[in-house]
Amino acid sequence: MIVAELKRIDEIRKMIDRYSSILVVGCDSCVAECAAGGNRETMLLAAALRLSYRKDNKNPVITEACLDRQCVDDFIEGIAHQVPEHEVILSLGCGAGVQALARVYTDKPIIPALDTLFIGETQMRGVWQENCLGCGQCKLGHFGAVCPVTRCSKKLMNGPCGGSKEGRCEVHPEIPCGWDMIVTRLETLGELDRLSEYVPPVDWSTSHSGGPRRVVREDQKP
Amino acid sequence: MDTNPIKIVVYYCRNLKLFKDGQQKAFARSRPGLSLVAIPCSGKMEAHHLLKTLAGGAQGVLVLACAEKACQYLEGSRRSHKRTDYARLWLEKLHIEPDRVKLVHLSPTDVEAMEKLLKEFTSTLESFGRIPPIAHTQAG
Repeated sequence: MIVAELKRIDEIRKMIDRYSSILVVGCDSCVAECAAGGNRETMLLAAALRLSYRKDNKNPVITEACLDRQCVDDFIEGIAHQVPEHEVILSLGCGAGVQALARVYTDKPIIPALDTLFIGETQMRGVWQENCLGCGQCKLGHFGAVCPVTRCSKKLMNGPCGGSKEGRCEVHPEIPCGWDMIVTRLETLGELDRLSEYVPPVDWSTSHSGGPRRVVREDQKP
Repeated sequence: MDTNPIKIVVYYCRNLKLFKDGQQKAFARSRPGLSLVAIPCSGKMEAHHLLKTLAGGAQGVLVLACAEKACQYLEGSRRSHKRTDYARLWLEKLHIEPDRVKLVHLSPTDVEAMEKLLKEFTSTLESFGRIPPIAHTQAG
């Protein structure tokens, strides 16, 4: 899932203060799971904005809505009847959702209310941990389903640095050593032999530069 | 008679059994500005309910809960603390007095304690002054 956090209220206000009617749109997928942009959070932000504006004696129209998913057109169309009545859409979607809204509602400014942070998992209620950088060369099967790219602070691909202490990373003691986790898990699985195979460094030339990545599946097109 | 009474909304746990049949309306009618809302458990209240209530025109919101160990739903009363605290944190971020939202544990049927609490709460809200009124188009 994508993990995001709500921006500071003053930053949000700065971006939307020029508008007199605001449609606050949440997303009930990833950002609902990380308690940043789901239905509850949308209602909370809308109420907070109303209070904030009341305090400043301002009265923009604020309407809230929540989509099951903000990154898929079929769901985005769900607010089509509300969009024309508002000057701006304040999106509680991730970066993908914000941009998808902009692609569909071409004549509306779309403002992000969240900072999109990482791909991760819910470790426990209230704690979300990054565990995937989207390198596009997944070798999790080789590493016992523990990713050295995210879980090793140094992104080492062929064994530990030797600096860890009691399973803790030398970069910061709060970080568990990724390689300690990899070895422990492969030992448990009886598959330590996998580590005898050399793994080249991740080829980052395909990501984070040179334009957005794309996946095309002809069999999935209409 | 106060023509502009301070609006207070009280969400009270039904299991506190504060009112017998018909008494709730009479109680609220005799206190202008007061709205009483029975809820199945104080744990039902979430931060967005509390902020929405303030945004909708209330000057203060009280949540009346059973004692934590007396909660019929085991965890509800305990959870309501976290949720009220979160709402109060939001009020701080908005530079609005956090004490406009309060959670209080009451003993069952203790209407006298509730009356005393309402008096004190009203006085506190009056000392804060009023959040400016909401425009009709912005409500809800």
